[in-house]
This record gives sequence, structure tokens and C-alpha cells, in this order.
Amino acid sequence: MTRGDRIVVAVVVILAIAAWPLAGLAAGRAAAVAVITGPYATYRVPLDTSRRVDVRGLESTVTVVVGAGSVRVAESGCRDRLCVRRGAIDAAGAAIVCAPNGVTVRIGGRDDAPDALIR
Amino acid sequence: MRPTPSSGSARAVAMVAMLVAVAAVLGIVESSLVPALPIPGVRLGLANLAVVLALSLVGRAAALRVSVLRVVVVALATGALGGPAFAMALSGAVASWVVMAWLAGLRTVSPIGWSVAGAAAHVSAQLVVASLITGSGAALLFAPVSLALALGCGLVIGYASRLLLSRLPLVYPEFGTR
Repeated sequence: MTRGDRIVVAVVVILAIAAWPLAGLAAGRAAAVAVITGPYATYRVPLDTSRRVDVRGLESTVTVVVGAGSVRVAESGCRDRLCVRRGAIDAAGAAIVCAPNGVTVRIGGRDDAPDALIR
Repeated sequence: MRPTPSSGSARAVAMVAMLVAVAAVLGIVESSLVPALPIPGVRLGLANLAVVLALSLVGRAAALRVSVLRVVVVALATGALGGPAFAMALSGAVASWVVMAWLAGLRTVSPIGWSVAGAAAHVSAQLVVASLITGSGAALLFAPVSLALALGCGLVIGYASRLLLSRLPLVYPEFGTR
């Protein structure tokens, strides 16, 4: 590894650390609501309810299940199904992204402040 | 960089074609594997091996051709052409080429550095495009993890390409030595 390579590695490490606040931005608050954003509609579902939402995505329908304080993607027609494999999330600031369908699921606090901060 | 064949020469065209084929096969193999982590845009980046080789052996323009053609061929093979996944792949390919082509002009950075920087640019561009597609910043929440993984994957591919670049002349003397 040359000196230049070490500088490149150091820059990437610094970027990764600098990006950390992005992940921490929405954490630290009580999880209260699942914010489901699709290309055609946005849903806010309180986590203490039990509900199944079929979200129309770009390629297929994404089925999101809210219940018992957590939210997960139960079914999606996308290729890699990363969203389904992510499993259930229950912490404030956690997110599930189904990029092929343009659907995201995020957990927000009572006031759902991250909407204003992240966008 | 070492002296490279002019872009229109038969040798350069043949090498670009060969590297596109290698990159496409690696890309298709990788896309058929189940990604290790449920994070959009995180892959080992095997196909980048061919782009690093193109950058080193033929030049910048050839590397861009290999990278973009590879994305198109893989998308054709996997049926993703024109979709959101294609937009993510294309943005990643172009962003990583820009960074790698720039670093290739600096004497102090070796293919290992190109690969690491290219991987970081690749995931960053993909997360930004994923955010644009989904219309929410949620994908950016993955940025720290993605960048850390890009560092590891970039190092693996970088060392692999260094190994290849040092061994190729043993099999094909016309590749010369770096």
C-alpha cells in the first residue's frame, strides 16, 4: 500500500465516521409511529396498533405489517427482497428501504421530527 | 500510469471487449448471489476488478466504457434495464469511475487506493439515488455502515487487482509490467 493509498483509506474512514450522525439523527427518541413512504402515498401508522398496509410501489406491491411495537415488510415483488430480509425493526431511527419499489419504512418519534431534519 | 495503447487501436478495442465480457460475467454471478446484508447498494463489487484492470492497462476512456457497458449487459441479463435498480447501478458505476480516473492520474495512489475510493463513491452515489427514488432520506441512514463495508470490499478488490496485474504478464507477456 502506497502513501496515497493510506490517505484514501483515511479519507473513507473519516467519511464513514462523519456520516455517523446521519444514522444517529433520528435515534434516541421513543419509537411511536411507522412512517411508510411510497411513490404514490405516505402512511403513518402508530406502532401500538396492528395493521397491514399494501403499499403500491414502482414495480410491485409492498406489504408492510405493523404490530406489537415493530414493523416489517412481509412481502414484496422486488428482485433481491432486501426489504423482507431486513426483518422487523422497532427502534427509533431504524429504516427499511425497498429501492426497486421506491418504498421506505422508518420509525419516528411522537412528533416525527426526522421528517423535517432529514429531507 | 504506464503507456497505454491508443483508444482506437485494435488491441485496445479487443482488450475493452474482453474486459466488458469479464465484468459482465462477474456482475451477473454477483447479482445471482443473495446479498450478504439487507442494505441497498452493498456488494463485493467483483465487476470493479475489470474496471480497475481497464484503467491500469488501457486507460480512462476504456475504463468508462467497460464500466457502463457492463452495467447495461448485466441489466439486460437480469431484466433490470431502465428500472430503479438500473439507475442505482449506473450512478454507482459513473461515480466510481470519476473518482478512480482522477486518482489514476496521481502517481502516489495505486490500484488499491483506486478500488477503495471507487467503492466508497459507488455506495455513496447509490444511496443518494436510492434516496431520490424513494423520495425520503431513509436510505442515507445506511451511509456509515455502507462506507465501512465499502472500505473492506474496496481493499479486497484492490489487492485482488494488484495480484492480477502482477501475474498477467507471466501468462500474457504483451501486458508488460507496471
